[in-house]
Amino acid sequence: MALPASSHFCAGLPARLRQLFPNAIRLSVALGLLSQGVPPLNAAPADKASDVLLLTMQQELLRATGSLSKSDPPPYFLSYSVYDDESAVVVASYGGLLRSFGGRRRSADVIMRVGAPALDNTHNESRGSALTSGSLPLGDDRDAIARELWRLTNLEYRRAAPAFLNVKTSATVRSAEEDLSPDFSTEPPQSAADNSAISFKFDEAGWNEKIRRYSAYFRKYPEVYSSGVFLQMDSSKFRFISSEGTKITTGGAMARLVIQAETRAEDGMELLRVETFQAATPEGFPAEPEIAKKIEKMAADLKALRAAPIAEPFDGPAMLSGRAAAVFFHEVLGHRMEGQRQRGDQEGQTFTKKVNQLVMPDFVSVVDDPTLKELNGMSLSGAYSYDEEGVPASRVEIIKDGILKSFLMSRMPVKNFSHSNGHGRGQAGRMPTARQGNLIVSSSKSVKAPELREKFIEEIKKQGKPYGLYFEDVQGGFTLTTRALPQAFQVLPVIVWRVYPDGRPDELVRGVDIVGTPLAAVTRILLTDDAPQVFNGICGAESGQVPVSAVAPAMLFSEMEVQKRAQSHSRPPILPPPGFDTGAPKVPDGSAMPPVKPAVDPAVEPPVKPLLNQ
Amino acid sequence: MNAYSTLRLVIAAALVLVAVPPARAQGNQATASTGGAQEDPVLRAMLVELERSKSQLKLENASAPYYVEYRVTDLDHYDAEALFGSLRFETRQKVRILRAVVRVGDYHRDSYFRQGLGMVDILSLDDDPLALRQTLWLATDRAYKAATEALTAKQALLKQFSTDPPVDDFSRGAAIRQIGPLVRLDVDPAPWREMLVSATAQFRLDPQLELLSAEMKFEASNVYFVNSEGTVTRSGHSVYQMVVNGSTQAPDGMRLQRSPDFLVGSIAELPTAAQFSALTAEMMDSLKKLREAPLVEEEYRGPVLFEADPASDILENVVGANLLGQKPPPEKPGRTTGSYGGSYKNRVLPDFLSVLDDPTQRTFAGRTLVGSYEVDEEGVRAMPVLAIEKGILKTFLLGREPIRDVPVSNGHGRAAPSTPPGPSVGILILKTTQSFSPDQLKKKMLDLCRQQSKPYGYLVKTFGQSLEPRLLYRVWENDGHEELVRGATFEDLDTRELRNDLIAVGDDFLVSNRWGALPVSVVNPSLLFDELGVRRADLTKDKLPEYPPPALSAPR
Repeated sequence: MALPASSHFCAGLPARLRQLFPNAIRLSVALGLLSQGVPPLNAAPADKASDVLLLTMQQELLRATGSLSKSDPPPYFLSYSVYDDESAVVVASYGGLLRSFGGRRRSADVIMRVGAPALDNTHNESRGSALTSGSLPLGDDRDAIARELWRLTNLEYRRAAPAFLNVKTSATVRSAEEDLSPDFSTEPPQSAADNSAISFKFDEAGWNEKIRRYSAYFRKYPEVYSSGVFLQMDSSKFRFISSEGTKITTGGAMARLVIQAETRAEDGMELLRVETFQAATPEGFPAEPEIAKKIEKMAADLKALRAAPIAEPFDGPAMLSGRAAAVFFHEVLGHRMEGQRQRGDQEGQTFTKKVNQLVMPDFVSVVDDPTLKELNGMSLSGAYSYDEEGVPASRVEIIKDGILKSFLMSRMPVKNFSHSNGHGRGQAGRMPTARQGNLIVSSSKSVKAPELREKFIEEIKKQGKPYGLYFEDVQGGFTLTTRALPQAFQVLPVIVWRVYPDGRPDELVRGVDIVGTPLAAVTRILLTDDAPQVFNGICGAESGQVPVSAVAPAMLFSEMEVQKRAQSHSRPPILPPPGFDTGAPKVPDGSAMPPVKPAVDPAVEPPVKPLLNQ
Repeated sequence: MNAYSTLRLVIAAALVLVAVPPARAQGNQATASTGGAQEDPVLRAMLVELERSKSQLKLENASAPYYVEYRVTDLDHYDAEALFGSLRFETRQKVRILRAVVRVGDYHRDSYFRQGLGMVDILSLDDDPLALRQTLWLATDRAYKAATEALTAKQALLKQFSTDPPVDDFSRGAAIRQIGPLVRLDVDPAPWREMLVSATAQFRLDPQLELLSAEMKFEASNVYFVNSEGTVTRSGHSVYQMVVNGSTQAPDGMRLQRSPDFLVGSIAELPTAAQFSALTAEMMDSLKKLREAPLVEEEYRGPVLFEADPASDILENVVGANLLGQKPPPEKPGRTTGSYGGSYKNRVLPDFLSVLDDPTQRTFAGRTLVGSYEVDEEGVRAMPVLAIEKGILKTFLLGREPIRDVPVSNGHGRAAPSTPPGPSVGILILKTTQSFSPDQLKKKMLDLCRQQSKPYGYLVKTFGQSLEPRLLYRVWENDGHEELVRGATFEDLDTRELRNDLIAVGDDFLVSNRWGALPVSVVNPSLLFDELGVRRADLTKDKLPEYPPPALSAPR
């Protein structure tokens, strides 16, 4: 689904995984990957003593600023960001390897600002005019690198200069804007050199074999129609220099193992389970027996989900597990705390004028702290030391005792917040904007988990509801923050239970989405437990895909609204899976094939699959 | 590591290694007997699932499929690029792509429409039978359900139109078994990769060059095909390309670009380092000359001579594209979608010319024709098609979707890995009953100039995209000298001009290999037109660079 430009979508699995995975209409995207990988080269990037690349960037930046100062209009800011990325991907399904490749890529972003910090070429919708991207030669050839940086800088000047003239004209023509903040904040220059070498040893044959073997575990479960195991390893070195004198080198590495399993209920509803493991290197992944157990659990969950009844629309007490609450806060609150959403006439500005006001119960506090690499032994994927604008990461107190204190800020100021707090993030090739890092929700009104459940049941009884809903696990969510569309969010739960107040066992239900409006939703938290859980995921928004974490304890809500999930009507496969077809054709789980009604429904693909397409 | 010393070393290696025999010849380990299908794990898995689908796939209250096909394209692709004398990109990718088509209905009216065009998925690279079959099974299931719905949608749409006379949706195919040898990309690309680096290092010689990059693409693809009519085929192809891209700006800001390439069907035909360097140098020289060349300001209508290379672009884009028997959508009348749709059995070229498309040819004048194949992507044997005979349009290039007057495939149903097959050129050959040497043609053009009182005629040596001349010369009538010009475009260059204004062709037949969505070849000589319009192109001009390029380091 083509989401509106300003929607935010986050999931526990990389979009790339979906692209690689079975579904016909996505193949064109998957083939796009053909051009992404670069095998490792022998010429390693010079680290230590002489960083030729960094030196060349500096020389060229100096030359560019000197030369362009004579142009009309001259730029007042120029930066070069170079991302040296090495990555490897292995994908397997049902015991067969689908893809395996590794490679290196060196991409460069030239960012130029023309005018003055008060008003420059990035103003309003013209933000993209500040950036030109390309890729640089991989080796240490100074002349080649310099020549390409020169070419990209010239291209960028040809974009930025006319864009600034347009901005200036429309500023004189249009009525005054509500937020008169400048376009660029002043920040002190930074200098940092993190030269911790990130050695990337990708044992291709070994990992191919392992991922292939993991994927073969699903052969035991005929009711799981489609499954896959995906390994991604990335190490990257980021070099940033600017005409303000900032010079930063940072590095990082991340490995993700994602296991995905999919089936369909008899009525056609698609059911999905995803497990993600994350560590700095693949050595940090759990051992094989634990993976095998996870897969067994995923298969058992899917089997149970196929048999589960469909949830009815519901408005009543709900309990969210820590992971579910974490995603809920990321979508409902986190995205609305991003600085750029507080200015511009396209944005909904839900919280813009609520600073220093109580916006949620006073026992809840929220920070975003990218400086934390782990919490209670759990690794946090939203950690970084400098953001993509070269500003040091910092802990930002967003909500203190229920009161809104601050926004997440890039170098784009908003009213009353004139400086960055190190949250200007983005992927290579995109203009950085304020984004979340590690969003951490804490509570001063917490109880042990069993007690939270007791309170939950009390609340169901008090409201006279037949049951409450417990959201055990979620796969992601999305939210819309623009004015043109409803200020809404959606969290996509995968494991949801009906909890009965009369002591009956909990009942698994399927096909439910949490919906609602943000201001109301957060006020309904009654109580939390005392064991925060981590959701590590990839978040997509205007500045691209960035790794994030969200952390929260389990939460009891007095009221939560859910809706039926839009679903496909495609039946489960007609023939049994290969290898399970010894007898006459039958559905894989042995139950009788339900009567088939004539195929007149035009919906072939599910009409809405927000989670999976980006 | 010192890039320059290794560079020289590898060029030396390249000179030795260019004699490596072509991959096609190396990949003959696989059996070529017709019984090979059962020995090939991919074909075997395809046949098992095909059998299951044929015999059992049926929804209650819906028709069973009348036709099922699987096509698996196994791609091994290497790609590298150098920029300004330094490698910036290198990748080796293997992928197997499955396309499953299930047709519901019958040959006359079936479900091949919108979502019924088939399902695509990525297939296991391992020859594991269960992993292969799992994907085949799910793709077939999705394709069948989609086909069932597509047929309903198509019938509803067709009710709105009367198609007269009705043409079948799908022609019957003969069951053929053709298990060709597998090809492999078992070549060390290092020598050629180093050629990219050394060739583009020549950027140092021209500070006004905006861009100099070179790219190589080597690909071995094996296509496995089975269908429920009993056809089982397997065929392999290799394509190798090396291209150099350069761009610069004229003093007035006009962007000038060139991208000459080597596109061959065997390793042995790839250039040596010296040849690739020379091609680069020659291109850089032409860019330099173009910068200084005068702009075309005046409107011109008169004789134009196309050398064989640009002439092949005309043949492919104007003749080849219109020869495709592409059935128009139901709401559109006509035989095909192209502009030859109304020219069946009429004259489309001068009567001394014929056009043959013959994918069964393998080489021409010692060069491998990359458009060559034995069976197409619909499992139909390739065959020569004399589409235009003595200027008269006799037939169209056709796949298995019939058009009016052409009811059966002539083996031209080709497809890129994930796309539906459609009529396509294979090897397009221009035949002539009378031809002239290049000198005679030039003289003929100058004679025409004299007759038309033109001080010069135009000579085209290279086209860029969409028939825009990149190397265009004025040939002066008085002394025959050639003057390079820039910024011109042709007023009209389509089927009408080819029919009425093409007056002579050369004897300088040239093989042009192309690799867009599909590899194709064109074989043709120079073309002389007695009258074509040439005028100034509407080219937007960019600003010149704001500051000079960086100084080069001292040579080491």
